[in-house]
Amino acid sequence: MQNKVSVLVAGAGLLLLLVAPPALAHHAFAAEFDANRPVRLKGAVTRMEWINPHAWIHIDVKKPDGKVEKWMIEGGTPNTLLRRGFTKHSLLPGTEIVVDGYQAKDGSMKANGRDLTLPDGRKVFMGSSGTGAPRDGKDPTEVKK
Amino acid sequence: MSQLVLTAVIVMFVLAPAPIAGQASSARAKTPAARGAWTPPRTTWGAPDLQGIWDFATITPMERPKELAGKEVLTAEEAAEFEKRTLEQRNPDRRDGGSQADVGRAYNQFWWDYGTKVIGTKRTSLVVDPPDGRIPPLTPQARQRAETRAEVLRRPAAGPEDRNLWERCILGGNAGPPMVSGAYNNNVQIFQTPEQVVILNEMINDARIVPLDGRPHLPPSLRQWRGDSRGRWDGDTLVVDTTNFRDPTNFRGSRATLHVVERFTRVAADTLLYEFTVDDPQTWTRPWSAAMPMTKTEAPIFEYACHEGNYGMVNILTGARAGEKAAEEAAKTGSR
Repeated sequence: MQNKVSVLVAGAGLLLLLVAPPALAHHAFAAEFDANRPVRLKGAVTRMEWINPHAWIHIDVKKPDGKVEKWMIEGGTPNTLLRRGFTKHSLLPGTEIVVDGYQAKDGSMKANGRDLTLPDGRKVFMGSSGTGAPRDGKDPTEVKK
Repeated sequence: MSQLVLTAVIVMFVLAPAPIAGQASSARAKTPAARGAWTPPRTTWGAPDLQGIWDFATITPMERPKELAGKEVLTAEEAAEFEKRTLEQRNPDRRDGGSQADVGRAYNQFWWDYGTKVIGTKRTSLVVDPPDGRIPPLTPQARQRAETRAEVLRRPAAGPEDRNLWERCILGGNAGPPMVSGAYNNNVQIFQTPEQVVILNEMINDARIVPLDGRPHLPPSLRQWRGDSRGRWDGDTLVVDTTNFRDPTNFRGSRATLHVVERFTRVAADTLLYEFTVDDPQTWTRPWSAAMPMTKTEAPIFEYACHEGNYGMVNILTGARAGEKAAEEAAKTGSR
Protein backbone atom coordinates (compact mmCIF):
# COMPACT_ATOMS: atom_id res chain seq x y z
CA MET A 1 0.00 0.00 0.00
CA GLN A 2 2.79 2.34 0.99
CA ASN A 3 4.43 1.57 -2.35
CA LYS A 4 1.29 2.23 -4.31
CA VAL A 5 0.84 5.63 -2.67
CA SER A 6 4.38 6.70 -3.46
CA VAL A 7 3.95 5.42 -6.99
CA LEU A 8 0.88 7.60 -7.46
CA VAL A 9 2.71 10.59 -6.03
CA ALA A 10 5.55 10.03 -8.49
CA GLY A 11 3.05 9.77 -11.33
CA ALA A 12 1.40 13.01 -10.27
CA GLY A 13 4.79 14.68 -10.22
CA LEU A 14 5.41 13.62 -13.76
CA LEU A 15 2.05 14.90 -14.92
CA LEU A 16 2.95 18.26 -13.41
CA LEU A 17 5.55 18.55 -16.14
CA LEU A 18 2.97 18.28 -18.88
CA VAL A 19 2.19 21.85 -19.73
CA ALA A 20 -0.71 22.08 -22.13
CA PRO A 21 -0.33 24.54 -24.99
CA PRO A 22 -2.46 27.67 -24.76
CA ALA A 23 -5.96 27.41 -26.14
CA LEU A 24 -6.53 28.54 -29.69
CA ALA A 25 -8.41 31.80 -29.81
CA HIS A 26 -10.19 33.72 -32.50
CA HIS A 27 -7.52 36.34 -32.75
CA ALA A 28 -4.10 37.17 -31.47
CA PHE A 29 -4.96 39.54 -28.65
CA ALA A 30 -1.45 40.97 -28.60
CA ALA A 31 -2.10 42.37 -32.10
CA GLU A 32 -5.16 44.25 -30.87
CA PHE A 33 -4.35 45.22 -27.27
CA ASP A 34 -1.23 46.78 -25.81
CA ALA A 35 0.48 44.82 -23.05
CA ASN A 36 2.16 48.09 -21.98
CA ARG A 37 -1.16 49.83 -21.37
CA PRO A 38 -2.97 48.05 -18.56
CA VAL A 39 -6.18 49.83 -17.55
CA ARG A 40 -8.50 49.63 -14.58
CA LEU A 41 -11.85 51.25 -15.30
CA LYS A 42 -14.86 51.73 -13.10
CA GLY A 43 -18.11 52.66 -14.75
CA ALA A 44 -21.76 51.99 -15.39
CA VAL A 45 -22.89 49.71 -18.19
CA THR A 46 -24.76 51.65 -20.88
CA ARG A 47 -25.37 48.72 -23.23
CA MET A 48 -24.04 45.35 -24.26
CA GLU A 49 -23.58 44.24 -27.85
CA TRP A 50 -24.35 40.53 -28.21
CA ILE A 51 -22.45 40.20 -31.46
CA ASN A 52 -20.08 37.74 -33.06
CA PRO A 53 -17.28 37.00 -32.99
CA HIS A 54 -16.95 38.87 -29.67
CA ALA A 55 -19.40 40.53 -27.30
CA TRP A 56 -18.73 44.19 -26.42
CA ILE A 57 -19.80 45.94 -23.22
CA HIS A 58 -20.15 49.73 -23.30
CA ILE A 59 -19.49 51.63 -20.09
CA ASP A 60 -19.45 55.29 -19.01
CA VAL A 61 -16.40 56.06 -16.91
CA LYS A 62 -16.63 59.21 -14.78
CA LYS A 63 -13.31 61.03 -14.44
CA PRO A 64 -12.39 62.99 -11.29
CA ASP A 65 -13.08 66.26 -13.15
CA GLY A 66 -16.65 65.13 -13.86
CA LYS A 67 -16.10 64.34 -17.52
CA VAL A 68 -17.48 61.05 -18.83
CA GLU A 69 -15.42 58.74 -21.02
CA LYS A 70 -17.23 56.18 -23.15
CA TRP A 71 -15.30 52.89 -23.17
CA MET A 72 -15.92 49.68 -25.09
CA ILE A 73 -14.87 46.41 -23.49
CA GLU A 74 -14.29 43.24 -25.49
CA GLY A 75 -15.36 39.80 -24.27
CA GLY A 76 -15.50 36.39 -25.93
CA THR A 77 -18.21 34.83 -28.07
CA PRO A 78 -21.84 35.28 -26.96
CA ASN A 79 -22.30 31.55 -27.66
CA THR A 80 -20.28 30.70 -24.56
CA LEU A 81 -22.34 33.15 -22.50
CA LEU A 82 -25.54 31.46 -23.65
CA ARG A 83 -24.16 28.02 -22.75
CA ARG A 84 -23.29 29.34 -19.29
CA GLY A 85 -26.84 30.53 -18.77
CA PHE A 86 -25.97 34.20 -19.13
CA THR A 87 -28.75 36.17 -20.84
CA LYS A 88 -29.46 39.67 -22.07
CA HIS A 89 -31.00 40.34 -18.67
CA SER A 90 -27.89 39.37 -16.74
CA LEU A 91 -25.93 42.59 -17.13
CA LEU A 92 -28.36 45.47 -17.25
CA PRO A 93 -27.64 49.12 -18.10
CA GLY A 94 -26.75 51.07 -14.98
CA THR A 95 -24.81 48.20 -13.38
CA GLU A 96 -21.49 49.46 -11.99
CA ILE A 97 -18.58 47.27 -13.00
CA VAL A 98 -14.82 47.32 -12.64
CA VAL A 99 -12.81 46.37 -15.71
CA ASP A 100 -9.28 45.12 -15.56
CA GLY A 101 -7.71 44.84 -18.99
CA TYR A 102 -5.43 46.31 -21.62
CA GLN A 103 -6.14 49.28 -23.86
CA ALA A 104 -6.35 48.92 -27.66
CA LYS A 105 -3.11 49.56 -29.53
CA ASP A 106 -4.69 52.41 -31.49
CA GLY A 107 -5.08 54.38 -28.26
CA SER A 108 -8.88 54.61 -28.50
CA MET A 109 -11.13 53.98 -25.52
CA LYS A 110 -11.37 50.25 -26.06
CA ALA A 111 -9.99 47.49 -23.88
CA ASN A 112 -10.22 43.76 -23.45
CA GLY A 113 -12.24 42.62 -20.46
CA ARG A 114 -9.44 40.68 -18.79
CA ASP A 115 -11.44 40.55 -15.56
CA LEU A 116 -14.82 42.11 -14.94
CA THR A 117 -15.97 42.45 -11.38
CA LEU A 118 -18.74 44.13 -9.45
CA PRO A 119 -17.68 46.87 -7.00
CA ASP A 120 -17.81 44.34 -4.12
CA GLY A 121 -15.29 42.12 -5.89
CA ARG A 122 -17.59 39.43 -7.20
CA LYS A 123 -16.99 38.40 -10.79
CA VAL A 124 -19.49 39.57 -13.38
CA PHE A 125 -18.76 36.45 -15.39
CA MET A 126 -18.29 33.56 -13.04
CA GLY A 127 -15.63 31.06 -13.98
CA SER A 128 -15.24 28.69 -11.03
CA SER A 129 -11.64 29.72 -10.51
CA GLY A 130 -9.21 26.90 -10.65
CA THR A 131 -11.65 24.07 -10.97
CA GLY A 132 -11.86 24.44 -14.72
CA ALA A 133 -15.49 23.45 -14.50
CA PRO A 134 -17.31 26.65 -15.32
CA ARG A 135 -20.62 24.91 -15.85
CA ASP A 136 -20.89 23.29 -12.45
CA GLY A 137 -22.59 26.28 -10.81
CA LYS A 138 -20.74 25.64 -7.57
CA ASP A 139 -19.14 29.05 -7.36
CA PRO A 140 -21.06 30.94 -4.65
CA THR A 141 -20.01 34.25 -6.20
CA GLU A 142 -21.95 33.54 -9.38
CA VAL A 143 -24.23 36.38 -10.40
CA LYS A 144 -27.60 34.85 -11.09
CA LYS A 145 -30.68 36.39 -12.61
CA MET B 1 15.62 14.60 -10.39
CA SER B 2 15.95 12.99 -13.79
CA GLN B 3 16.11 9.65 -12.05
CA LEU B 4 12.84 10.45 -10.31
CA VAL B 5 11.20 11.31 -13.62
CA LEU B 6 12.52 8.15 -15.18
CA THR B 7 11.20 6.19 -12.24
CA ALA B 8 7.84 7.86 -12.64
CA VAL B 9 7.72 7.04 -16.35
CA ILE B 10 8.50 3.41 -15.67
CA VAL B 11 6.06 3.31 -12.81
CA MET B 12 3.23 4.80 -14.87
CA PHE B 13 3.93 2.32 -17.62
CA VAL B 14 3.79 -0.52 -15.16
CA LEU B 15 0.58 0.82 -13.64
CA ALA B 16 -1.30 0.56 -16.90
CA PRO B 17 0.23 -1.98 -19.20
CA ALA B 18 -2.82 -4.03 -20.01
CA PRO B 19 -5.05 -1.64 -21.97
CA ILE B 20 -2.24 -0.27 -24.12
CA ALA B 21 -1.77 -3.17 -26.49
CA GLY B 22 -5.48 -3.77 -26.78
CA GLN B 23 -6.65 -0.24 -27.49
CA ALA B 24 -3.78 1.17 -29.47
CA SER B 25 -4.83 0.21 -32.93
CA SER B 26 -8.41 -0.80 -32.30
CA ALA B 27 -9.96 2.44 -33.54
CA ARG B 28 -8.96 1.91 -37.14
CA ALA B 29 -8.48 -1.83 -37.40
CA LYS B 30 -11.83 -3.12 -36.26
CA THR B 31 -15.20 -2.87 -37.91
CA PRO B 32 -18.04 -1.40 -35.84
CA ALA B 33 -19.46 -4.90 -35.43
CA ALA B 34 -16.16 -6.14 -34.00
CA ARG B 35 -16.15 -3.23 -31.54
CA GLY B 36 -19.10 -4.67 -29.68
CA ALA B 37 -21.87 -5.66 -32.04
CA TRP B 38 -23.75 -2.45 -31.43
CA THR B 39 -25.92 -1.57 -34.41
CA PRO B 40 -26.53 2.10 -35.04
CA PRO B 41 -30.08 3.33 -35.57
CA ARG B 42 -31.20 3.69 -39.20
CA THR B 43 -32.79 6.50 -41.13
CA THR B 44 -36.15 5.80 -42.77
CA TRP B 45 -34.27 4.92 -45.99
CA GLY B 46 -31.97 2.49 -44.16
CA ALA B 47 -28.71 4.42 -43.80
CA PRO B 48 -26.87 4.55 -40.46
CA ASP B 49 -28.33 7.54 -38.63
CA LEU B 50 -25.59 9.97 -37.64
CA GLN B 51 -27.91 12.94 -37.29
CA GLY B 52 -27.88 15.28 -34.34
CA ILE B 53 -25.57 17.72 -32.62
CA TRP B 54 -22.16 16.39 -31.60
CA ASP B 55 -19.80 18.01 -29.11
CA PHE B 56 -16.09 17.50 -29.75
CA ALA B 57 -14.58 19.60 -26.96
CA THR B 58 -11.69 17.77 -25.35
CA ILE B 59 -8.44 18.61 -23.61
CA THR B 60 -6.67 15.56 -25.04
CA PRO B 61 -3.82 17.12 -27.03
CA MET B 62 -3.36 16.48 -30.73
CA GLU B 63 0.13 15.16 -30.09
CA ARG B 64 1.33 12.93 -27.28
CA PRO B 65 3.30 15.02 -24.81
CA LYS B 66 7.00 14.11 -25.00
CA GLU B 67 6.95 13.19 -21.33
CA LEU B 68 4.45 10.43 -22.11
CA ALA B 69 6.51 8.89 -24.92
CA GLY B 70 5.63 5.20 -25.20
CA LYS B 71 2.45 5.55 -23.17
CA GLU B 72 -0.66 5.38 -25.30
CA VAL B 73 -3.44 5.26 -22.73
CA LEU B 74 -3.90 6.82 -19.30
CA THR B 75 -5.46 5.01 -16.38
CA ALA B 76 -8.55 6.59 -14.83
CA GLU B 77 -6.42 8.07 -12.03
CA GLU B 78 -3.83 9.43 -14.43
CA ALA B 79 -6.54 10.88 -16.65
CA ALA B 80 -8.09 12.70 -13.67
CA GLU B 81 -4.69 14.09 -12.72
CA PHE B 82 -3.97 15.08 -16.32
CA GLU B 83 -7.31 16.91 -16.53
CA LYS B 84 -6.69 18.73 -13.27
CA ARG B 85 -3.19 19.86 -14.25
CA THR B 86 -4.17 20.87 -17.78
CA LEU B 87 -7.07 22.97 -16.55
CA GLU B 88 -4.86 24.63 -13.95
CA GLN B 89 -2.33 25.46 -16.65
CA ARG B 90 -4.97 26.83 -19.00
CA ASN B 91 -6.92 28.75 -16.41
CA PRO B 92 -6.68 32.43 -17.38
CA ASP B 93 -7.73 33.48 -13.87
CA ARG B 94 -4.09 33.86 -12.89
CA ARG B 95 -1.52 36.56 -13.37
CA ASP B 96 1.87 34.91 -13.70
CA GLY B 97 4.09 35.18 -16.77
CA GLY B 98 4.17 38.96 -17.26
CA SER B 99 1.89 41.31 -19.15
CA GLN B 100 2.63 39.81 -22.59
CA ALA B 101 1.30 36.45 -21.45
CA ASP B 102 -1.47 38.17 -19.55
CA VAL B 103 -2.83 40.06 -22.56
CA GLY B 104 -2.76 36.80 -24.50
CA ARG B 105 -5.11 35.18 -21.99
CA ALA B 106 -7.56 37.95 -22.89
CA TYR B 107 -10.50 37.16 -20.59
CA ASN B 108 -11.25 35.16 -17.52
CA GLN B 109 -12.17 31.48 -17.62
CA PHE B 110 -15.87 32.13 -18.13
CA TRP B 111 -15.47 32.80 -21.83
CA TRP B 112 -13.50 29.71 -22.77
CA ASP B 113 -15.11 26.41 -23.63
CA TYR B 114 -12.38 23.97 -24.59
CA GLY B 115 -13.83 21.17 -22.51
CA THR B 116 -12.72 19.71 -19.22
CA LYS B 117 -12.21 16.05 -20.05
CA VAL B 118 -9.86 13.83 -22.00
CA ILE B 119 -11.43 11.68 -24.74
CA GLY B 120 -13.30 8.56 -23.62
CA THR B 121 -10.60 6.18 -24.81
CA LYS B 122 -8.12 8.04 -22.52
CA ARG B 123 -5.54 7.95 -25.27
CA THR B 124 -2.72 10.40 -24.65
CA SER B 125 -3.00 11.97 -28.12
CA LEU B 126 -5.59 12.41 -30.84
CA VAL B 127 -2.92 11.26 -33.30
CA VAL B 128 -3.15 7.46 -33.69
CA ASP B 129 -0.74 7.09 -36.61
CA PRO B 130 2.27 7.38 -36.51
CA PRO B 131 2.08 5.10 -33.46
CA ASP B 132 4.23 7.49 -31.41
CA GLY B 133 1.27 9.89 -31.38
CA ARG B 134 3.30 12.69 -32.98
CA ILE B 135 2.63 14.50 -36.25
CA PRO B 136 5.32 13.52 -38.79
CA PRO B 137 8.06 16.11 -39.43
CA LEU B 138 7.36 18.97 -41.81
CA THR B 139 9.13 18.90 -45.17
CA PRO B 140 11.91 21.52 -45.60
CA GLN B 141 9.59 23.60 -47.85
CA ALA B 142 6.84 23.50 -45.21
CA ARG B 143 9.28 24.64 -42.52
CA GLN B 144 10.28 27.56 -44.74
CA ARG B 145 6.61 28.48 -45.33
CA ALA B 146 5.92 28.36 -41.59
CA GLU B 147 8.80 30.75 -40.92
CA THR B 148 7.57 33.15 -43.59
CA ARG B 149 4.02 33.09 -42.13
CA ALA B 150 5.29 33.66 -38.62
CA GLU B 151 7.31 36.65 -39.84
CA VAL B 152 4.23 38.18 -41.50
CA LEU B 153 2.20 37.71 -38.30
CA ARG B 154 4.92 39.34 -36.20
CA ARG B 155 4.98 42.61 -38.12
CA PRO B 156 2.14 45.15 -38.03
CA ALA B 157 -0.52 44.09 -40.56
CA ALA B 158 -0.59 46.16 -43.77
CA GLY B 159 -4.11 44.88 -44.43
CA PRO B 160 -6.47 42.06 -43.47
CA GLU B 161 -4.63 39.70 -45.85
CA ASP B 162 -1.66 39.73 -43.48
CA ARG B 163 -3.75 38.19 -40.70
CA ASN B 164 -4.90 34.58 -40.47
CA LEU B 165 -8.11 33.25 -42.00
CA TRP B 166 -9.86 32.82 -38.66
CA GLU B 167 -9.24 36.43 -37.64
CA ARG B 168 -10.67 37.37 -41.02
CA CYS B 169 -13.79 35.25 -40.32
CA ILE B 170 -13.18 33.22 -43.47
CA LEU B 171 -12.50 29.83 -41.85
CA GLY B 172 -13.13 28.55 -38.34
CA GLY B 173 -10.05 27.41 -36.47
CA ASN B 174 -11.59 24.11 -35.34
CA ALA B 175 -14.11 23.50 -38.16
CA GLY B 176 -11.81 21.92 -40.71
CA PRO B 177 -11.88 19.73 -42.55
CA PRO B 178 -10.49 18.10 -40.54
CA MET B 179 -12.25 19.12 -37.30
CA VAL B 180 -10.09 19.43 -34.18
CA SER B 181 -11.19 20.56 -30.72
CA GLY B 182 -10.47 24.24 -30.02
CA ALA B 183 -11.22 26.99 -27.51
CA TYR B 184 -15.01 27.26 -28.09
CA ASN B 185 -17.84 26.43 -30.51
CA ASN B 186 -16.78 22.77 -30.56
CA ASN B 187 -20.09 21.61 -31.98
CA VAL B 188 -21.16 20.12 -35.27
CA GLN B 189 -24.61 19.17 -36.51
CA ILE B 190 -25.12 16.43 -39.07
CA PHE B 191 -28.13 16.25 -41.41
CA GLN B 192 -28.77 13.41 -43.87
CA THR B 193 -30.81 12.77 -46.98
CA PRO B 194 -30.43 9.69 -49.18
CA GLU B 195 -28.30 11.70 -51.61
CA GLN B 196 -26.42 14.13 -49.37
CA VAL B 197 -24.98 14.75 -45.95
CA VAL B 198 -24.68 18.24 -44.49
CA ILE B 199 -21.96 18.91 -41.94
CA LEU B 200 -22.73 22.18 -40.16
CA ASN B 201 -20.01 23.51 -37.89
CA GLU B 202 -20.91 26.02 -35.21
CA MET B 203 -17.61 27.84 -35.74
CA ILE B 204 -18.22 30.38 -38.55
CA ASN B 205 -21.47 28.41 -39.14
CA ASP B 206 -20.16 26.90 -42.33
CA ALA B 207 -22.13 24.04 -43.86
CA ARG B 208 -20.40 21.44 -45.99
CA ILE B 209 -22.84 19.81 -48.39
CA VAL B 210 -21.45 16.39 -49.22
CA PRO B 211 -22.90 14.48 -52.21
CA LEU B 212 -23.14 10.69 -51.80
CA ASP B 213 -23.92 9.84 -55.44
CA GLY B 214 -20.41 8.92 -56.52
CA ARG B 215 -19.82 11.99 -58.66
CA PRO B 216 -16.14 12.87 -59.19
CA HIS B 217 -14.37 15.77 -57.49
CA LEU B 218 -14.46 19.20 -59.10
CA PRO B 219 -11.87 19.77 -61.82
CA PRO B 220 -8.45 20.71 -60.41
CA SER B 221 -8.84 24.32 -61.56
CA LEU B 222 -11.71 24.91 -59.09
CA ARG B 223 -10.35 25.48 -55.59
CA GLN B 224 -12.42 26.23 -52.46
CA TRP B 225 -11.60 27.50 -48.96
CA ARG B 226 -12.88 24.27 -47.36
CA GLY B 227 -12.08 22.07 -50.34
CA ASP B 228 -14.52 19.87 -52.22
CA SER B 229 -16.04 16.97 -50.27
CA ARG B 230 -17.47 13.71 -51.63
CA GLY B 231 -19.04 11.05 -49.42
CA ARG B 232 -19.75 7.32 -49.50
CA TRP B 233 -20.81 4.61 -47.09
CA ASP B 234 -18.27 1.97 -46.08
CA GLY B 235 -20.48 -0.42 -44.10
CA ASP B 236 -21.85 1.71 -41.25
CA THR B 237 -19.12 4.32 -41.64
CA LEU B 238 -19.56 7.55 -43.58
CA VAL B 239 -16.34 8.29 -45.48
CA VAL B 240 -15.81 11.87 -46.69
CA ASP B 241 -12.99 12.58 -49.12
CA THR B 242 -11.92 16.21 -49.54
CA THR B 243 -9.54 17.73 -52.10
CA ASN B 244 -9.40 20.97 -54.17
CA PHE B 245 -8.35 23.23 -51.30
CA ARG B 246 -7.07 26.77 -51.89
CA ASP B 247 -3.49 27.61 -51.03
CA PRO B 248 -4.29 30.03 -48.20
CA THR B 249 -6.26 27.29 -46.41
CA ASN B 250 -3.78 26.09 -43.91
CA PHE B 251 -4.27 23.06 -41.71
CA ARG B 252 -1.11 22.95 -39.62
CA GLY B 253 0.94 24.31 -42.50
CA SER B 254 -0.76 22.47 -45.37
CA ARG B 255 -1.24 23.80 -48.90
CA ALA B 256 -3.78 23.38 -51.72
CA THR B 257 -2.47 19.83 -52.21
CA LEU B 258 -4.00 18.76 -48.87
CA HIS B 259 -6.08 15.58 -49.07
CA VAL B 260 -8.38 14.79 -46.14
CA VAL B 261 -10.27 11.53 -45.58
CA GLU B 262 -12.74 11.63 -42.68
CA ARG B 263 -14.56 8.65 -41.21
CA PHE B 264 -17.74 9.04 -39.11
CA THR B 265 -18.91 5.93 -37.23
CA ARG B 266 -21.67 5.88 -34.64
CA VAL B 267 -20.22 3.45 -32.09
CA ALA B 268 -22.82 4.05 -29.37
CA ALA B 269 -26.08 5.96 -29.02
CA ASP B 270 -24.20 8.96 -27.64
CA THR B 271 -20.80 8.53 -29.33
CA LEU B 272 -19.73 9.35 -32.86
CA LEU B 273 -16.21 8.19 -33.57
CA TYR B 274 -14.56 10.78 -35.82
CA GLU B 275 -11.33 9.73 -37.52
CA PHE B 276 -9.31 11.49 -40.18
CA THR B 277 -6.25 10.94 -42.29
CA VAL B 278 -4.43 13.88 -43.85
CA ASP B 279 -1.84 13.77 -46.58
CA ASP B 280 0.07 16.58 -48.26
CA PRO B 281 3.47 15.69 -49.74
CA GLN B 282 4.32 19.39 -49.78
CA THR B 283 3.85 19.59 -46.02
CA TRP B 284 4.49 16.31 -44.17
CA THR B 285 7.01 13.57 -44.73
CA ARG B 286 4.19 11.01 -44.54
CA PRO B 287 0.37 10.88 -44.12
CA TRP B 288 -0.97 10.83 -40.55
CA SER B 289 -4.22 9.99 -38.77
CA ALA B 290 -6.14 11.02 -35.68
CA ALA B 291 -9.24 9.82 -33.82
CA MET B 292 -11.56 12.04 -31.78
CA PRO B 293 -14.81 10.59 -30.38
CA MET B 294 -17.66 13.12 -30.28
CA THR B 295 -20.47 13.12 -27.73
CA LYS B 296 -24.13 13.64 -28.55
CA THR B 297 -25.63 16.74 -26.99
CA GLU B 298 -29.18 17.95 -26.66
CA ALA B 299 -27.98 21.54 -26.25
CA PRO B 300 -28.66 23.73 -29.26
CA ILE B 301 -26.08 24.88 -31.77
CA PHE B 302 -25.82 28.67 -31.97
CA GLU B 303 -25.19 31.00 -34.86
CA TYR B 304 -21.67 32.34 -35.11
CA ALA B 305 -21.89 34.99 -37.82
CA CYS B 306 -18.29 36.06 -37.43
CA HIS B 307 -18.42 38.95 -39.90
CA GLU B 308 -21.30 40.49 -37.95
CA GLY B 309 -19.15 42.61 -35.71
CA ASN B 310 -15.51 41.77 -36.25
CA TYR B 311 -14.29 44.94 -34.55
CA GLY B 312 -11.15 43.04 -33.67
CA MET B 313 -9.84 43.25 -37.23
CA VAL B 314 -10.49 47.02 -37.33
CA ASN B 315 -8.69 47.42 -34.03
CA ILE B 316 -5.71 45.36 -35.21
CA LEU B 317 -5.33 47.50 -38.34
CA THR B 318 -5.87 50.88 -36.64
CA GLY B 319 -3.42 49.70 -33.96
CA ALA B 320 -0.83 48.93 -36.65
CA ARG B 321 -1.30 52.38 -38.24
CA ALA B 322 -1.06 54.10 -34.85
CA GLY B 323 2.17 52.23 -34.20
CA GLU B 324 3.63 53.38 -37.51
CA LYS B 325 2.64 56.99 -36.82
CA ALA B 326 4.22 56.89 -33.40
CA ALA B 327 7.44 55.46 -34.89
CA GLU B 328 7.50 58.22 -37.53
CA GLU B 329 7.05 60.93 -34.93
CA ALA B 330 9.72 59.41 -32.73
CA ALA B 331 12.10 59.37 -35.73
CA LYS B 332 11.37 63.06 -36.46
CA THR B 333 11.92 64.05 -32.86
CA GLY B 334 15.14 62.05 -32.80
CA SER B 335 16.51 63.71 -35.95
CA ARG B 336 16.00 67.25 -34.66
